[in-house]
Amino acid sequence: MAVAQASTFEETAPLPPVVRWASLRRLLRKKIAFVAIVYLVIFYGAGLLAPVIPGVDPYKQELTREAVSQGPSAEHWFGTDAFGRDLLSRVIYATRTTIIFTVAVVVTGGLFLGIGLGLLAGYRGGWVDTLIMRVGEVMGGLPTLIIILALTAAFRTRIDDFVFWLQDHTWMSRDDARLLVKFVIITGASVPFAWIGTSRIVRGQAFALRENEFVTAAEMMGASTTRIVTRHILPGVMPLVVVGLSGGMAAIAGTEVALSFLGLGIDPPTPSFGNLIADGAGVRAFAANPHILLATAIPLVLFSFAWNLLGDALVDIVEPRTRNR
Amino acid sequence: MASGLLGYTIRRLLWTIPVLLVISMFVFWILRLAPGDPVDVLLGQRYDDDVAARLRDKYGYDEPVHIQYFTYMTNLFQGDLGVSTRHTDFNVSEVIWPKIWVSTQLGFLALIIVFSVGIPVGIYAAMARGTFIDPLTISFWLFIDAIPSFVMIPILQYFLALKFSVVGLAWEGVWSTNAILPILIMSLPGVAGVARYMRASVILVMNEDYVRTARAKGLKETTVVMTHITRNALLPMITVIGLSLPGIVTGALFVETFFGIPGIARESLAAITGPDFDVLLALILFGSTLFVFANVAIDLIYAVVDPRIRVGASRGN
Repeated sequence: MAVAQASTFEETAPLPPVVRWASLRRLLRKKIAFVAIVYLVIFYGAGLLAPVIPGVDPYKQELTREAVSQGPSAEHWFGTDAFGRDLLSRVIYATRTTIIFTVAVVVTGGLFLGIGLGLLAGYRGGWVDTLIMRVGEVMGGLPTLIIILALTAAFRTRIDDFVFWLQDHTWMSRDDARLLVKFVIITGASVPFAWIGTSRIVRGQAFALRENEFVTAAEMMGASTTRIVTRHILPGVMPLVVVGLSGGMAAIAGTEVALSFLGLGIDPPTPSFGNLIADGAGVRAFAANPHILLATAIPLVLFSFAWNLLGDALVDIVEPRTRNR
Repeated sequence: MASGLLGYTIRRLLWTIPVLLVISMFVFWILRLAPGDPVDVLLGQRYDDDVAARLRDKYGYDEPVHIQYFTYMTNLFQGDLGVSTRHTDFNVSEVIWPKIWVSTQLGFLALIIVFSVGIPVGIYAAMARGTFIDPLTISFWLFIDAIPSFVMIPILQYFLALKFSVVGLAWEGVWSTNAILPILIMSLPGVAGVARYMRASVILVMNEDYVRTARAKGLKETTVVMTHITRNALLPMITVIGLSLPGIVTGALFVETFFGIPGIARESLAAITGPDFDVLLALILFGSTLFVFANVAIDLIYAVVDPRIRVGASRGN
């Protein structure tokens, strides 16, 4: 059910003029947020260190009757899939897929486009502002998942063209090239929708900051626009951007998972939570091998849950009036 | 004031025209990026080039994109949404309207559940502020929100249908007991958002002077909560409700796929993989148009219920 995801702090009340980094330290004192951070550290740590963790091989098959689709055991903590591959290894490698995708989308869409366009709209104002915000409204109004699906489906039919080009012009092997192209396609399809939330936050905050004396003073002293924006506005904007992004992280990761689940994102054998869950989803599959669905879904659910909790805790911190004492 | 409101209404409605035109151009262009055209799909793998050329000429697919767009829009305003290549012998209207109706009913029921659960949960959490109950309640719903529907569906289907046979899995229309599970799965993830929003809203109202006055003059706590706090806290919910309305029509992809519901989201996916160009285009344009008008409606309702809002300001300022 697509209930509008209006972020709590964005619209309920005018924002506090400046949110300081120091207030983010309060986060560590919240127990729930702390647990969420610990989980996320494990999740990201597993993803980053996957190649050096001993005994982790997501591709090794064991095609014997005793080895396939086995439940959790001492040897395979998360059990094995239909090809006898170790599910824990596959989950660990799936976290890499999630990390690569979310980082790519957050850096290009959330940070680069979101902050850039938000600052432009908020600091310039006028018709630039109107244009950017109208475009945002239009993009936000499109049925996002369907458009992303349509875009990926359209570009996937041309995967081979891109892959052959990369193979001829770079050092990449065909499998690497294919994976890279798939990542580029799903990232490219998601980015046009990823900047809207951030840019709204940045714009609102930039509006508020622009009225401050220190900005006026800087303008008086003849500081260039670039200097004012990067030195005076940007630092005040960043904490709220972090808050907004942590609240939206689950949704960003969810896009890749949904695409891969439908077979339009990252395909097997490369592990992604989407294609791992797809192996175990379905009521008959769940009845036969519940561990395949549970072992792959639980780490993902906890990932989204942790980001949700973190986002919620951060909103509490930047909006002291609704703070949970 | 009335003329101001009227002028505002007209201005907002006029704005929708360029917005909708840009959306339609954008979507048309995006869908045209796909290689192949409906004729390829219609004719299958092997076909006579002459036949293909004749069909392309008939439907105008041999024209440049901007001409095709112009033709499409002309037909659109005459009520002709084109032909479906997946459901041959049906035009787009015949394909989409029955499905939109199914999804709309489901979405509407789910939306009612979301708000009738989310609003009390939000009030409850706000009232319990300062105790562990507040974060516990919100965290519980955030957890539910974190479960993808394609994970929740098989698990619930297994326990409720296969194991304990509480409900059946066959699709027997919206008004049967078998529809309870899909509707429930559509509504559960939305509760967290509504509850958080309501909680924040209630907490802001709780500190208002009139609430203190109401308490000071000795009103019962229930009266204070029900009439002074809740009624005022509901005002900002207009935005959330309004923005959720277009969503009920666009359907829930995974719920419709898993339960075999002949709804609009499943049709969209089929139209994407088909590809069924005209059906997809009609569906996206339909969803976008609803969203744009929902935005206008929200602004107007705000302008009416809250006179403080500066008429003439656009939303988001």
